[in-house]
Order: sequence, then C-alpha cells, then structure tokens
Amino acid sequence: MKYIDFPTLGRRPSSEFVVGGIIDPEPAELDGISPGEWVFNRDSIPMRRTEWWYHTPTQLWFLVERHTATDEVFGATLAGAAIDG
Amino acid sequence: MSIRLLKYAFIEDWAEPRFFNTPDELRDSYDVVIIGAGGHGLATAYYLAREHGITNVAVLDQSYIGGGNTGRNTTIIRSNYLTEEGVKFYDQSVELFKSLSEELDLNIFYSERGHFTLAHSDATLRTARWRAEVNKHYGVDSEVVGPDDILKACPQIQLDCGGNHEILGALYHAPGAVARHDAVAWGYAKRASEAGIEIHQHTEVTGIDVAGGRVVGVTTPRGKIQAGAVVSAVAGFTPTVLSMVGLSSPIEIFPLQACVTEPIKPWLDTIIVSGSLHLYVSQSSRGEMVMGASLDPMELHSRRSTFEFVSNLADQLLDMFPFLSQVNVNRQWAGMADMTPDFAPVMGTTPVGGFYVDAGWGTWGFKATPISGKTMAATVANARDDELITDFNLSRFGDYELVGEKGAAAVGH
Repeated sequence: MKYIDFPTLGRRPSSEFVVGGIIDPEPAELDGISPGEWVFNRDSIPMRRTEWWYHTPTQLWFLVERHTATDEVFGATLAGAAIDG
Repeated sequence: MSIRLLKYAFIEDWAEPRFFNTPDELRDSYDVVIIGAGGHGLATAYYLAREHGITNVAVLDQSYIGGGNTGRNTTIIRSNYLTEEGVKFYDQSVELFKSLSEELDLNIFYSERGHFTLAHSDATLRTARWRAEVNKHYGVDSEVVGPDDILKACPQIQLDCGGNHEILGALYHAPGAVARHDAVAWGYAKRASEAGIEIHQHTEVTGIDVAGGRVVGVTTPRGKIQAGAVVSAVAGFTPTVLSMVGLSSPIEIFPLQACVTEPIKPWLDTIIVSGSLHLYVSQSSRGEMVMGASLDPMELHSRRSTFEFVSNLADQLLDMFPFLSQVNVNRQWAGMADMTPDFAPVMGTTPVGGFYVDAGWGTWGFKATPISGKTMAATVANARDDELITDFNLSRFGDYELVGEKGAAAVGH
C-alpha cells in the first residue's frame, strides 16, 4: 500500500482517498468548443498535474500533485487552505 | 529436446510456414496505415482486404502483435448489453466469433460456457431484468434465473457469500463464451498477411502529418510514410495518438488488472461475474482460474500490477468459493484501459479527414474484436461511418448523445 504525507492528517494510505480527477477550472469563455466538449473532454496524456483527492473518513478535500505515468506524488495541500490563501 | 525438433536447426525449410512474412523495409506510401497490431487493428486489416479489396495496408505496432490489451483481457465474449446500439453490435460480434476458427483456419478455442451475472441486491436484479428484456427483444438469449439454477450450474458456489452479499438471482446468458485471445490476433495477422498486408512490429508512430484538414502520413523512427487514411486502434494510448492530430476526447486511461492461478482439475463450466464483489472468474482449458476485478481507482498510464489488487480479489473470491483458499496465484498483470463516460466505444470518422478512431474500448474490447474490425474496415473503405457504429462516433459527447452502457459493464467500475 502506498502511504502519502498529508497536511492535517499525517501519513495516510492512498486507499482512504477517492480521486476526483484533474483540476479543470471553468473557463470564462468556451474558445470555439461546444459546452458538451468542455464537460466531457479530457487530455489524458501522461503528465505531472494537480488533482482533487477526497479523504473519505474525514470528508476533507485535498489538492495533490501527481505524475500520471509514474504515480509519483509530489505533495498535498488542504483544499480549503489553498482556496482561502 | 526431441530429435525431430533438433533436425530443423540444420535445414533451411521449416515444415510450417511462418504466420506472417513482412519485408524488412517500409514502403514510402500506403493506402491505409493502421496504428496498433492488436486484435482490432489486425481484424480491420483483414476485413479491408477480404471485403473491400484494399491490400496496400500497413499495420504498425510499437511492440509485438497482440501484446497490448488483446493479450491482457480475461477472454470473455458475450452480448447481453443494455442499450439497443450495444446489443445489436455485440450480437453480431458473437456470431462472427462462432465461425472464426474456420474463417481464420486457426483454432481459437472458442468455448461456449454460459455466463452468470450475479445479483446480490434488488437493484442489481432490477437491472438484470431490464437487460434480459432488452436482449430478448433483439433475439439475444438472456434470462433472469434464481439461486437454484445457479447452484445447479455451479454446485460449489456459496450462495450466502460469507453472509454479507447473499446471491438473489442472476442474469443468465447461454451464449457467453471464452476464447484464446492470442490466437485471435495471430489468426487475423496470418490471414491479413496472406492477402498482402504488411505487419511491422516495433515500429512506433511518433507523429501524424496533417495538411489542409486531412491526414497525409505518419512519422516513425524508421522514417516518414505517406498514407491515404490512418486508423488508430491503440487501446491505452488513444489520447496520445489523438493529440498528434489535435483532437480531444473524453477517454481517460485507467489500469485494469487480472490474474491466473495454477492449473487445477476442471470444476467450473460457466463464467461467473459479480458486480457487487467486483469479480469475474472462469476456468481456462488448461485448468487455470482466470480472474479479473474492477479498474484501479485513479488515472495511470502504467502496466504495473499491484499486491492490493490480488489481495482484494482473493478476499472477494473466497466469500464465494472458500475451497479455493489453498490455490496459488501463478501470474498477474495489468492493461491500460480507454475509459469513456458512457462505457461505450468511440468509433468511426473524426473531424480530421482520413483519420479514423477505434477506441474507448475500456474493459469490453476483446468481445468486439471481429465486428469492430468489420465495421471499421467498411468505414475506412467508404469514408463514412458504418450504420452499426454511427451512434459510437466521437461527436456524440459534444452533441450530448451518449449511449449509456454502464449498467451492462461486467463489474461496478
């Protein structure tokens, strides 16, 4: 089992989390694409990216930076803290 | 080693001809370039030659034939789907599979076993009834059966599943079958090669050239090739190939794992699938238990397999078949699955002229190998979607015309 260091929680197994996918902010304007394309399309190519991770036992959301080819995790921040600044 | 085998080391003429003979050099130009020499790509090549007379075709693969998801699935073939589009499509695939050994002149060990999708809850039973009615309407043999029928077909099953997931009934699909997946790829490769199609292994496509909204060729480490049409049949790498022509798709890559045990005496005739226990199991003709589970929980472009998978699977399996506790796992592996939001494939034409996709095969691609080859070949030959696959076009997401096949997935992914 993979263990990851989380702020507030400490070291937790990855099985306690549900991954919500890549952070994909709503664009101000849909640049030549239909709403359906923005809703569904993903650029699922191997890359280092920031994802939503939900910790089921505590119901906390985190932002986790991970590489989707190697599964290496580079760090996690509490979503509330990141948004409140 | 047998003396008979040794003598072939010293003579030039091997008794059996090789399955396919491909020249060392690539041609400068092909009518059609197919990326991916798995079952789907090779079947497309075969039907292009057989049904449309197009033989100036190259099938390119970054590795060896059938080394991707064609050789990594659990070989189950069935057509008990949930939507009209799905049932019609997969039913034709099952029909093609039945005569495939004769057609390819190679025994693919097609074996009809009967397929039980177990229901452990009222909700699952309801979906099973729905699927049975849809199937019957389109002439597919499917019915809801009770626990007694399951016990009759598989006396070893524990109907209470350890007390937590009592089996209430099942969707029984008599034509459910298994086949040797490698043989399917090899058979298509052999027949396509006989028709003059070239199969180039270890030839990775690193770029696709587009001019004026049309594909004109592909780039490989062995040089550039001109192509009139390009077909992408690369399960697990579809988003990467689509990005070469500037297309986006909803396809996300998740690993799907499977394993086999050591061979044991034949005891399981049927295919047993449980959505609630995230498990499907059948016994191969060699006696190995072939087992798979649900997708790994997060996007990952990797074929590593994990201990968590095999320990979770064993935990669920032993609820149903406790006597397997002494059986060892021999091998485990993973494949990269193209997952779509509606659990239906993405097939056919794209906004780029001459560029066709056969993708989004997630966890349900092997059973569709013959029919996807046939319909993709017709699509490429006529430069428009075959009528069986129009609903699977990439444009359905932008148009909000999803197919909604999730209820028929083997296990809750």
